[in-house]
Amino acid sequence: MSFTLERIEALAPDQSSLAAARKLLKPSSWPTLAEGEGLVWGECQGSGATPYRVVVSEADAGYKCTCPSRKFPCKHTLALMWMRADRSASFAPASVPEWVKDWLSRRRGPSAAAAGKRTNEDGTKPKTRPSIRATDVPEAEPEADPKAEQRAAAARERSRLEREAAVLAGLEALDTWLSDQVQQGIANFVAQAAQSCRTISQRLVDAKAPGLAGRLDALPTRLFTLPDPARPSAAIRELGQVHLIGQAYRRASELPELLAADARQAVGWSVTREDLLSDPAAARVDAKWRVFAVISEAQPDRLRRVETWLCRQGGSDGNSYYAVLIDFVPVSSGAATGGYLVGDEFEAELCFYRSTVPLRAQIATLRKGAEQSKEPVTLTNDTLSVSYTHYERALAQLPWLGTLPLNFRSATLRRNGLQLYLHDEESGSSLPLPSTQSTEALPLASVGRIDGIGLWNGYHFTLAWAETSLGRWVRP
Amino acid sequence: MKGSALHTKVLPSLLGGTSRNPLPKDLVRPSDPTCDGTLELLSLAGQALRFERPPAPDSFLVEPEIRDERAIVEEALRRPLVRLLSAKIATEHPARALARSFDQLRLRPHSFDLPLIDDFVRSHAEKLGPTAQHWADKQKPEAETHSYLDPELLYESNWAQARLSRRATFLEQLRRDDPERARALLESTWPQEEAEARFRLLHVLQTRLGTTDQPFLTTLEKDRAPRVRGLAAKFLSRLGAGVENPALLACLERIKQGKSGMLRKRTTLELELPANVNEQSAPHWILQTFSEVSFSELAGAFRLTDEELIEASTKNESLLLALALIASSDRRLNLLELVVVHLPNAWQKMLESRLDTLGTMSESERQRWQAILVHPYGKELPPNYLFWDWLHRLTDAPAPASVMSMILKAKFLLKLPERERGSAPWLEVIAAICPAPQRQELREQFAEFDPSQTVIPLSLLDILDQMERNRTHA
Repeated sequence: MSFTLERIEALAPDQSSLAAARKLLKPSSWPTLAEGEGLVWGECQGSGATPYRVVVSEADAGYKCTCPSRKFPCKHTLALMWMRADRSASFAPASVPEWVKDWLSRRRGPSAAAAGKRTNEDGTKPKTRPSIRATDVPEAEPEADPKAEQRAAAARERSRLEREAAVLAGLEALDTWLSDQVQQGIANFVAQAAQSCRTISQRLVDAKAPGLAGRLDALPTRLFTLPDPARPSAAIRELGQVHLIGQAYRRASELPELLAADARQAVGWSVTREDLLSDPAAARVDAKWRVFAVISEAQPDRLRRVETWLCRQGGSDGNSYYAVLIDFVPVSSGAATGGYLVGDEFEAELCFYRSTVPLRAQIATLRKGAEQSKEPVTLTNDTLSVSYTHYERALAQLPWLGTLPLNFRSATLRRNGLQLYLHDEESGSSLPLPSTQSTEALPLASVGRIDGIGLWNGYHFTLAWAETSLGRWVRP
Repeated sequence: MKGSALHTKVLPSLLGGTSRNPLPKDLVRPSDPTCDGTLELLSLAGQALRFERPPAPDSFLVEPEIRDERAIVEEALRRPLVRLLSAKIATEHPARALARSFDQLRLRPHSFDLPLIDDFVRSHAEKLGPTAQHWADKQKPEAETHSYLDPELLYESNWAQARLSRRATFLEQLRRDDPERARALLESTWPQEEAEARFRLLHVLQTRLGTTDQPFLTTLEKDRAPRVRGLAAKFLSRLGAGVENPALLACLERIKQGKSGMLRKRTTLELELPANVNEQSAPHWILQTFSEVSFSELAGAFRLTDEELIEASTKNESLLLALALIASSDRRLNLLELVVVHLPNAWQKMLESRLDTLGTMSESERQRWQAILVHPYGKELPPNYLFWDWLHRLTDAPAPASVMSMILKAKFLLKLPERERGSAPWLEVIAAICPAPQRQELREQFAEFDPSQTVIPLSLLDILDQMERNRTHA
């Protein structure tokens, strides 16, 4: 990935960070500037005696700085990227210092795997694990203790069984709550959804079922994005799904393996990146990927969920055509992107979480860093109505399916009042756009037929990318 | 369960509550004998609803076809433009300069950027072309929208369909070239015009007002709108027809005439302010009192030529201000120049009068007007932001090269008081008025400031340069 001013601007949490970074562009502020192995790093003299250490990965715009700033990326990181982008300073080729290696070994990015493979010159693993702040404090490698490992494994198993029991107890409470809502009437539930959902959501958090808890916590917000008359039937859909997930979890042994894995993930059992990458059964697709949407949403738990939606370039060979990378960053950091921008293209092997409709993935191996591409995105020849049948098929496979990308050819954007619809002239079918797009996508209503991709969540079609007679449109 | 049963039996029960409206027993088939099957039916109903396709509306709006022959701004400029116009800009001056550039270069923003620069488009729609005007009108009721005609596509045949300001500009241009034809055009649409349009368009007749306009003006003495009647009467009075201009009489009541000189007696004039008008409010009172009077009318009332009127007023600053305002309103810049010789602080006085329009002055006239006001200050340019802010808002034109040279030679921005030096409003307004040939010199002076202070003004200069360069090469 080569840094450009546009990319840096997109990564910056706000304009003042950029202005502050601009002040640090003088090479005299940087006693050390170096590069090597796809990384650039430097030391920036701040107001204290010790300079801040900054490292940036050029492969995926990952970064780390030792300054205490609460903004991410901080001004030092932005300044380092900026100097790299406009080549206003020279970066001396150098071997990667220990503090940079340490950061690499800790991070959860595509370069982490490479970092994990780092060895000493004699082929052994490094004995020390130096801190980014202090590299000169060696730590003794703890000796392996089989008994301790056995005890730890037993403790993990005990913890797992306790959690299983807690989840099942939580599901019982959920059923009782659902029954109460049905008895009192779903129309009544809609009126007091916020309070009601908060109560059961907290109960499910206690029951260690964070997936279901989060789904119910977000339910009132989701309902209120819909017009008033649509809310009761949407509540039936959502509560029905919640019950379905609970049932699938209880009867996981009777389900196909992938659907059972979906149920466990929906309840809240997470799969770590390490576990996923070491799972030989996980689907892997090595291809060129294009970022067609970045959706950033603040969650009630003060984390921002950043979804980077990818579309496989050069056509599909029957494997996954779409993928999504999901990052969580603290809302307080101000960061709103995951490092990739819409239009970026990169080559990577993606490893997909096990699912009947595999979408969520991790980058297993990054073969070529992201670059902005002006090429049109590869689309199938499906019209909107044909794509919608793909959605219906996926829904049949995974009944609690959330968002699915749909691509379309030769559709038009039409208006009815302030509501926008993506309209398929041939079949006459239309998908409503969310009200948040009623202004941003409005210019497309005057450009005739368009090809593109968007995200359908069962209620709204979020238009993400369109190729038009006036050029490319992407969701701002 | 069939679709009909879902909607007629299951959903009413689920929505209203199963305690009051139990689910039909024939539909509840629990898979597990230990539960009552209600929740299973909830899931099934929810899933059935998920498979229902979203309903399409009965009809869609038909989008109007906009004929916009302006070129779309170059692709490479789109992002910098959006970045600048969506950033936190301290003043409106950069947007004003950009809108002017769009208009002069016959460019328009890319349609896809309109939502991103919505405030800019709404504020300057008329300078951004028909597509932008259409965008700005989208939120308005249908009755308030207009046809979207570009001025270069405006002819006498479609003139009546354009926006009022465009029509006034078109009529003004025609009036300068051919006053008879312009009046005939106005007369042809007069019965259909609303009061606001009649008043605004009638103003255009002050350009090259002549006796041939008299019959038309006479018919307006019975116009329904009092202000149209008043304006027509004023024009008739200037032509020596009709009753004397009441505004002129009000002015004359306040002007004291005298004689001075030992050998050759010369007329002297003095404006006496009412007792309830203090020094601060005097300029505004003068503007209001003299706004309906022409230079020739006033000179004629004292049986003086225009130049003699100025000569007779030299000892009275208030009357000089009145003459400067009248000369501006009449677009008689040669007379304004003579007045300013005796009133070097005319810029300050006009600002204090709260003058807010230069009427139908062309851009070159506005630039000359600006130069006339600024030149007397020489190296002592006013270090007060309000002066420059007012000047740019009023003229809506780049500074003439001579004014910009004064700013640059004096290193004006660098010599501002410490607390204002490098502040965003100052840098923005000077960047916005800087004419193209002097931008490089201004950039060199900007280099003296902290780079974080000049992000917006430098970006503005770069964009303006690039817009002009691309248009020249196109």
